[in-house]
Amino acid sequence: MTSYLIRRLGIGVITLLLITFLVYGLVRNIPGTPFTSDMAQMNPSKMMSPEAVEKLNRLYGLDKPWYQAYFYWMSNVVRGDFGVSYSRNNKPVGTLILERMPATLLLSSTSLVLAYLLSVPIGLWSSARADSVSERSVSTLLYMLYSLPAFVAALYLQLLFYVKLDWLPLYGMTSDDYATLSTSGKAWDLLKHATLPVICFTYGSLAFYSRFIRANMQEVLRQDYIRTARAKGVAPRTIIWKHAFRNTLIPFVTLVGLSLPGLFSGAVILEQIFSWPGMGRLYFESIGQRDYNVIMGLTLMFSMLTLAGQLLADILYAVVDPRVTYN
Amino acid sequence: MLTTPPEVEIALAESAPSAGFWRESWRRFCRRRLALVALAFVVALMAIAAAAPFIAGTKPIICKYKGHIYFPALGYYNRAWENPIFAKDRFRGRYAGTLAEKDPDSWAIFPLVYQDPYRRVRAGEWPDQPENPFGKEGVPSRYNWFGTNPQGFDVFASMVHGAQTAVSVGFVSMGIAAAIGITLGALAGYFGGWIDVLISRVIEVVMCIPSLVLILALVAMLDKVSNVHLMVIVGCTGWTGIARLTRAEFMKLKQLEFVSAARAMGAGASRVMFIHILRNALAPVLVPITFGIADAILIESGLSFLGFGASPPNPSWGTLLSAGRRSIEETWWLIVFPGAAIFLTVLAYNLIGEGLQEATDPRLRQDAH
Repeated sequence: MTSYLIRRLGIGVITLLLITFLVYGLVRNIPGTPFTSDMAQMNPSKMMSPEAVEKLNRLYGLDKPWYQAYFYWMSNVVRGDFGVSYSRNNKPVGTLILERMPATLLLSSTSLVLAYLLSVPIGLWSSARADSVSERSVSTLLYMLYSLPAFVAALYLQLLFYVKLDWLPLYGMTSDDYATLSTSGKAWDLLKHATLPVICFTYGSLAFYSRFIRANMQEVLRQDYIRTARAKGVAPRTIIWKHAFRNTLIPFVTLVGLSLPGLFSGAVILEQIFSWPGMGRLYFESIGQRDYNVIMGLTLMFSMLTLAGQLLADILYAVVDPRVTYN
Repeated sequence: MLTTPPEVEIALAESAPSAGFWRESWRRFCRRRLALVALAFVVALMAIAAAAPFIAGTKPIICKYKGHIYFPALGYYNRAWENPIFAKDRFRGRYAGTLAEKDPDSWAIFPLVYQDPYRRVRAGEWPDQPENPFGKEGVPSRYNWFGTNPQGFDVFASMVHGAQTAVSVGFVSMGIAAAIGITLGALAGYFGGWIDVLISRVIEVVMCIPSLVLILALVAMLDKVSNVHLMVIVGCTGWTGIARLTRAEFMKLKQLEFVSAARAMGAGASRVMFIHILRNALAPVLVPITFGIADAILIESGLSFLGFGASPPNPSWGTLLSAGRRSIEETWWLIVFPGAAIFLTVLAYNLIGEGLQEATDPRLRQDAH
């Protein structure tokens, strides 16, 4: 197991180096630099003189070719320095990401917990009532939800709950008068703002997980030991819960690992629609502003999480299933 | 159910040649009504996309002008296919009145709906049809079935022409992805060894880069984005699933006897790979390709929605949605109709993919006997 872990970690580091090298090359080759792109478009009179741009480029090491600059960036990262954000008053990238992280985590962790809590009962119910009319309609509905793009759902919900009913705010994380509200008022305000984004984050994975559980349950329910349990008179509820569901946990647990990166990424479009001040929006803004260090910091984080999630899934697999060993 | 005597059944089985794999799969696919409906929907969508200029447009499908027959509607497919005589005679894209004015003997057959995805229809262009409203006045009406956008362009016409974008992006990008994925997966699975290690590492790297990161960076690198660019970018980022599946199939199939037989008869590596093995690996690979088409349509409309799609004037469902989002309090029709189109198309491809999976994967057959 230890040698397996070391090998996986070694491969992971190489993969990370390749990914960051590739993305660094890509973003450095986007036309425009952080000092020319945005301001010139907004106001030509604010455009910096070529000398000033030159000076800034030298200051930030952007005058070097990108493959050289990559190694500067990488060696700084190894020493724990992620650089500064050019377009946000030279704020360190680490601080910036940490500032934006809670907003994203609020959405993604809530939706993850909700999706797991709801999908288990739905999945079990639909495998217990397989092929009844109510089960078929619920399954069809879930399938349709699974195919409904999140940005379409977001717009439809905004139309319904903001334009038509006027119950929930359109976007943002807090109201303008948030600071003046009492503690309970603040919580209520936040809840109202977070409702639509959380729904949009949740329904897709809810549909996916419950279909996943149902498919695995159907597989398990066909096994001989289930027939044996039925034959000896075990209550249907106990069969579903104890005999069948426990054996579907193995593939289900690996899903937890694979959903880890989704906690942080996967939010670019939704955070944009809801003007949610999280990391997805930060990423989107940084591409527009050619803010290389922020893009690279976020890419590094997303890729590390993806790799860590895959590793975690494989390890969990060995933990829950004694038949699986890595040697 | 009727029961046939056993001897009759045997006789039947002997007389008819047994159905091939694809016919058998098609029979199974037909049993799933939803998958069939989805297939019909996609075929209809393709027909609409192919015939878009004949359904909604302001250029005649066919007309007689100064003694010659012309097909100006072809100009919607490609500018150059619109006969230069109309540019020379200063038609400026207005055929309805101008034709009769310049040549009293002319006649023309116009598309079903006299609306244009690229401009606003003005008053007096078409008998009894008022000027297109714009802004929040553009509610759906009998002239503008799905309303108009803030500039007064007809939404129905934009959606019909936008179907071309959706259909072509889905097919071309997945064609590219399938070509890359099948080739790399086949090489890795067939040869194994260091080739496999290398290709697997490449697959892993591409899989670990968040796809939106890669796509946004690639799109941002381009000056003027066209649909072709989008197709190539989506295709070049969406091949990893196909490659992994092809690799696994090849690893499994290359150990079977028919491969050894082909090799013993002197078939070269590429012949064994792409003629003998690929034919048998194609069915499972078709499933991720179908799901991939749904993904590609989703990515294209998402990018257009974020403003990273093809440069205007390009009718895309995502572009309509983003216009609807900017004025969400007034123009609900810009969200409801394109949103439903995206949803139904993605749903249809997913249903087809699932139907294919159940039809071709023997482990999922419910009626296994």
